[in-house]
Amino acid sequence: MIGLTASLPTAPRFPWARHPISIAFLLSILLLGVGETLSPGFAAPGQILSLLTVAAFLGLVAAGQTLVILGGREGIDLSVGGTVSLGALIAGNLMQGSDAMLLPALLGVILVCGIIGAINGLGVTLVRLPPLVMTLGMYGVIQGLLVLLTRGRPSGKAAPLLLDLITAPVFAGIPGLLPVWALIAALLTLILTRTSLGYAIYALGSNELAARFAGVPTVALRIGLYAGSGILGGITGFLLLGYTGTVFVGVGDQYVLPSIIAVVIGGTSLAGGAGSYLGTVAGAILLTILQSLLTTLAIDPAGRQMIFGATLLVLMLLYGRRQALRG
Amino acid sequence: MGALAVEAIGLSKTYGAVTALREGHFQLRPGEVHILLGSNGSGKSTLCKLIAGSIRPSSGELSLFGTPTNLSGPNDARARGIGVFYQELSLSPHLSVAENILLGAEPLTRWGTVDRSALRHRARDLIALFGSAAGPGLTPDAPVSRLSFDQKQIVEILKVFSSNPRVIILDEATSSLDRTQVTILFERLRALKAQGVAIILITHRMEEIFEIGDRVTIVRDGLSVATLEIAATDKNEIVHHMVGARIEGSIQRRLRPEPSLETALTLDGLQGPALAPLSVTLRRGEILGLGGLHGQGQSDLLLTLFGAQGTQAGRITIAGQRFRPTSPRAALKAGIAYISGDRRRVGVFAGRPVFENLTLSILLKTGARRVRPGLLRTLLEPILNRLKLKAPSLAVPIQSLSGGNQQKAVIGRWLTTKPKVLLLDDPTKGIDIQSKNDLYAMLDSLCAEGVGIILYSSEDSELLGNADRVLVFNSGQVTEELSGARLTEFDLYQAALKAA
Repeated sequence: MIGLTASLPTAPRFPWARHPISIAFLLSILLLGVGETLSPGFAAPGQILSLLTVAAFLGLVAAGQTLVILGGREGIDLSVGGTVSLGALIAGNLMQGSDAMLLPALLGVILVCGIIGAINGLGVTLVRLPPLVMTLGMYGVIQGLLVLLTRGRPSGKAAPLLLDLITAPVFAGIPGLLPVWALIAALLTLILTRTSLGYAIYALGSNELAARFAGVPTVALRIGLYAGSGILGGITGFLLLGYTGTVFVGVGDQYVLPSIIAVVIGGTSLAGGAGSYLGTVAGAILLTILQSLLTTLAIDPAGRQMIFGATLLVLMLLYGRRQALRG
Repeated sequence: MGALAVEAIGLSKTYGAVTALREGHFQLRPGEVHILLGSNGSGKSTLCKLIAGSIRPSSGELSLFGTPTNLSGPNDARARGIGVFYQELSLSPHLSVAENILLGAEPLTRWGTVDRSALRHRARDLIALFGSAAGPGLTPDAPVSRLSFDQKQIVEILKVFSSNPRVIILDEATSSLDRTQVTILFERLRALKAQGVAIILITHRMEEIFEIGDRVTIVRDGLSVATLEIAATDKNEIVHHMVGARIEGSIQRRLRPEPSLETALTLDGLQGPALAPLSVTLRRGEILGLGGLHGQGQSDLLLTLFGAQGTQAGRITIAGQRFRPTSPRAALKAGIAYISGDRRRVGVFAGRPVFENLTLSILLKTGARRVRPGLLRTLLEPILNRLKLKAPSLAVPIQSLSGGNQQKAVIGRWLTTKPKVLLLDDPTKGIDIQSKNDLYAMLDSLCAEGVGIILYSSEDSELLGNADRVLVFNSGQVTEELSGARLTEFDLYQAALKAA
């Protein structure tokens, strides 16, 4: 009520410059510049491509994370660490280095990880467990399952075709993974902004009751979002196998928190109903460059963590200001 | 009989610019049952809360038992002998019946711990007041969460009785009780009355007023307008005071062509959790009004029809086809639209562009996967013109619009789906007069197109001005159907207070 009498803020001269996506991309370029100055070669084309490759895996895990967070009701998927690892393990064991098994392996990964995600969704909707609890529990279950399946010694090998697809340059030294990521990103953006499914996802995240009243099948949609996150996690594991060649245990663990952070840096609201996948892409790239820069500068792990954390807080502060200006 | 139990002299309560009670005058004698009567938001609950100490007066004086008193809070009021039954109930669901009844007044052992057997005994004695009417399962050890709604009301009543108050305020204490339970409660009240206890009773059932009341005070628009001796008055006089000096027929009825003879919607014994079986036929182009005091089942009927209310029994037919209200999605596909005045909760997608807010339902109804902005714009344009929706562009977030325009966007969302039946649940709550008039004009054209409309409104003028006939609700039942010359505020109130 008090705010009404306060003078209206003048419109910013460059509204896009306040947008999280622009901030994240600008910051990425800035960090590349800083890296190049302090350690020449940091921003060399080949180096950038390998940074983008690392970012692609994070970006794909974070795609699923974006979906469940957009869907609201404290949506979050901590089990992505598990689905990524499981995806890699299933893919490796189905392929065993055979090109013929490439497609069946991919379908197997999608099926299993999709079911895991759907179980998350069922727990969140029908049993009404908090997503944090449900997906953390699922993460634990998958980790146990992985130990049980591999007995600590993972087996499985990527098909040569997959290795080629992911790492071999397709054009001007760009590895095949990047077009795959671009394709998935374009598809997701299209779905979110140009289809009724996308509208329904944003509606669900913005106001679940109103969404139900507007005709959205809210329960089925939410289960679908968690299944989607499971599938994207599995596909990331599948692609990771093509990057590493052999299966490592717990290869997905490193993605759990960064996937959430990438979404938030990209300007997607943790409350749901607002945000974009392009933002998450920018967030994943910024996060990867920042991590790489801190490693390159040989800052000790404690200092690295502090700078990492501080950067996040500063970004959130900037976004908070934007929100205040808008509201 | 000595000093008055309660006396309010010029008591007012304002919330910001809103006056809930102005210059309230009220006298409660010891040993009387005093009925407080008034429509929703008239100020009677405010008066009760002031006496109960749960809110403080903005001005005026309150005397308890002959001494001017400044209550510091509900505990102060309780200590002075005022016992209050709260309409919204104040029970702790996880505690037992006995613990709830004696909460804060538990009998103690000499070690200072709760004397559980004494607690149980005292609760058992109190429950025995209701005898077999208490129903199965109402035992001292039962957790309150397991009780039926009427049993919870009984526990709340016993909680009031247990403190041996000198003044008892019962705010709609009988709303869920059946006839036997009410009879027992009234017997109990007569016994307390004989001991000199003063009782304030708020009820919406006219026959209860004459059964138990000694005097009645009518509250209207925040003013206490009259206090009458029950023995010297009748229903008509009471209703006249509720309606006030408003001239009969002062409400301008909108002129619309006669509804068509075709049927839009038929209900055959439709039943819901808070809804007695109802059979009614809605014609195309007709506006069927739902009247009565707030929360008597009108919204329940609309939500049940819309598939948002879960269990139901009975048969719904739309344009000759049976409709099972399993979900709002099913209702959308069957051609039912539901628009609530509570747009923040069930209408608006805050943070999303106006365009998305407008198009979601039509996309879901047609099952279109791709959004074709051009196509949708041509579809939206006539509707937005008709609604006179004002927005800088359809890309701005909806919360940047005024309340009236937000509501128009929600209405627009539903009009694009071309509904056969439109359910309006207090649709103009909190919007400006211009937007209201735009909405009424739109109802005219929808009627002309043959849409069947069911309208609930908490505003009498809106209801009487728009509806072709009005079903008046009390406690989930239709008490009367008003039409023609009987569409007056007087008849509306009289029907609203009638038991079904």
